[in-house]
Amino acid sequence: MNSYKDYVKWDRMPTTWCGGCSIGMVFKQLTFTLEQIQMPKERLVVVSGIGCSGRAAGYFDVDSVHTTHGRALPVAEGIKRANPELNVVVFSGDGDLTGIGGNHLIHTSRRDTDLTVICINNEIYGMTGGQMAPTTKRGAVTLTSAAGNAYYPLNLQGLLTSVPRHFYARSSAYRINHLQKCIKEGLGWKGFAFIDVISFCIENNGRRLGYKNGFEMLDKLKADFKINTDPSGPLAANELGIIQNENQKS
Amino acid sequence: MKRLIMGNEAVAMGALEAGMTFFAAYPITPASEIMHFLAKEEGRIVFMHAEDEIASMHMAIGGSLAGSRSMTSTSGPGMSLKQEGIGLAHMMGVPMVVINVMRVGPSTGMPTLPSQGDILQARYGSHGDYNPIVFYPASVSECYVYIQQAFNAAEESRTPVILLLDGFLAHLAETVDLRSIRVPRKKRTLPPLGKGTRHFTGLLSKDGIPQTKDTEYYRKWYAGYKKRVERVADKYAYDSYLPHPDSETLLIAYGITSRVIRPLRKEYSIYRPIRIFPVLEERIRDITSRYKRIIVVEMNDGQYRGELQKILRRDILGVSILGGTINLREVKAKINELL
Repeated sequence: MNSYKDYVKWDRMPTTWCGGCSIGMVFKQLTFTLEQIQMPKERLVVVSGIGCSGRAAGYFDVDSVHTTHGRALPVAEGIKRANPELNVVVFSGDGDLTGIGGNHLIHTSRRDTDLTVICINNEIYGMTGGQMAPTTKRGAVTLTSAAGNAYYPLNLQGLLTSVPRHFYARSSAYRINHLQKCIKEGLGWKGFAFIDVISFCIENNGRRLGYKNGFEMLDKLKADFKINTDPSGPLAANELGIIQNENQKS
Repeated sequence: MKRLIMGNEAVAMGALEAGMTFFAAYPITPASEIMHFLAKEEGRIVFMHAEDEIASMHMAIGGSLAGSRSMTSTSGPGMSLKQEGIGLAHMMGVPMVVINVMRVGPSTGMPTLPSQGDILQARYGSHGDYNPIVFYPASVSECYVYIQQAFNAAEESRTPVILLLDGFLAHLAETVDLRSIRVPRKKRTLPPLGKGTRHFTGLLSKDGIPQTKDTEYYRKWYAGYKKRVERVADKYAYDSYLPHPDSETLLIAYGITSRVIRPLRKEYSIYRPIRIFPVLEERIRDITSRYKRIIVVEMNDGQYRGELQKILRRDILGVSILGGTINLREVKAKINELL
């Protein structure tokens, strides 16, 4: 029996993450989920890109790969294709996966490679100081959108459900039971599973937006998002849930 | 039995012979035939037609980490995109092979006329300090041999080894008796992912733990890495030397250029490095010391000549054949201008 603690490299603690950061909350839910499904450690590989979330790979007590910026998906795909026996989890941020790695996201999902992607979507480039990301809300002031972001954020749900066979889940760092359910189903999904975890960055985004601490940002997630347990169509902007399509025929 | 095959096919066949089981690439002339050939092997090997050059490079890294001998192939513009991953593979210690079939650049340049314009890119194209092993064959049978040696050197050095070709050699068809060529295969050196608790990272790290502020450790790590590559490179010190007893001039050429100037061996001594990087310093110092004049003939604006000048600290003459066309008459005329 593995405890969630067995999946953590304790000699690497404390993490590099700031107090009040949401990445650790998601990291923890992933380890809880690994315990629940008793994921064999020797069959698990965690891959990440660059950024605060990218550091997570090194905190798992399994073989892990911390790649270059944006390249977690192709490295993970190479691993999975070379050894389909391995369970490959990609743990990375929105800037890494949808910005610099955006092309890989389009095509790895199109190829429906059997990966579980956990995207810490904090709507900002946190590690580099707080520049706007492809996911930053329109109008938001960041270091590179001083007058407010002029662009609409990327529609990740739309992108990822555009492939006939798909698994797209949206959860949040606040709804931890829901997050665990999404991760569990994502790990069980044979194909490309993308879990968009709405998160936050207090130090390099939240304070500029007027939040005093991480707790306030967490509270905002609680207020803003509600769970839709049985979505009949695409999730509304304020909904958390799982959109999946087996599409066996295609 | 002899068969008529072209350079690109020989590379693909040699890779299979070397035990390659993972190939990822993106189409680009004049390298695509390698991909076409290996596409037919899909199922026996993992074959990935990636969305771009960056992805194919990184897929090959992933494939190698997971236990496959892996390879990617491209041409100049694609090589530029792979450089990010080449740096990562050096930092993480990933054995794999990268093929660059050179065409005239910069940029899209003259697709798909041959050139030797990526000599320095092969050596210095990624960021930071690193020390790659680079081979450059000069015949179809050598393509078959040195792709296998590239895999061996990659295993031993745990680095991405580069095999350079040019558009000419890649499309050159020659008869080769493949069965007469046997290259012993080195064992895998990197235990595959799974079962361990290792952390592979592009960060400077010690036993998987990032050491990003430790100058002393960086120096120690770099010295060790450099020595490791050099020690392996020493075992692969391939070259060829055709001395002419009466010549005071030594011609240095590699790859297709060395083929073109071969008839000049009646007048001059000719030296050809096959492992072009790390430069065969001692050997080249020794041979060049016997000659009054050294002329490097290459299909670029003096890239290897500069490298040799740096090492030998003496004047070296150069014949640059630019623009994708080479013939012996032009080379001869240019040599005569220099003498």
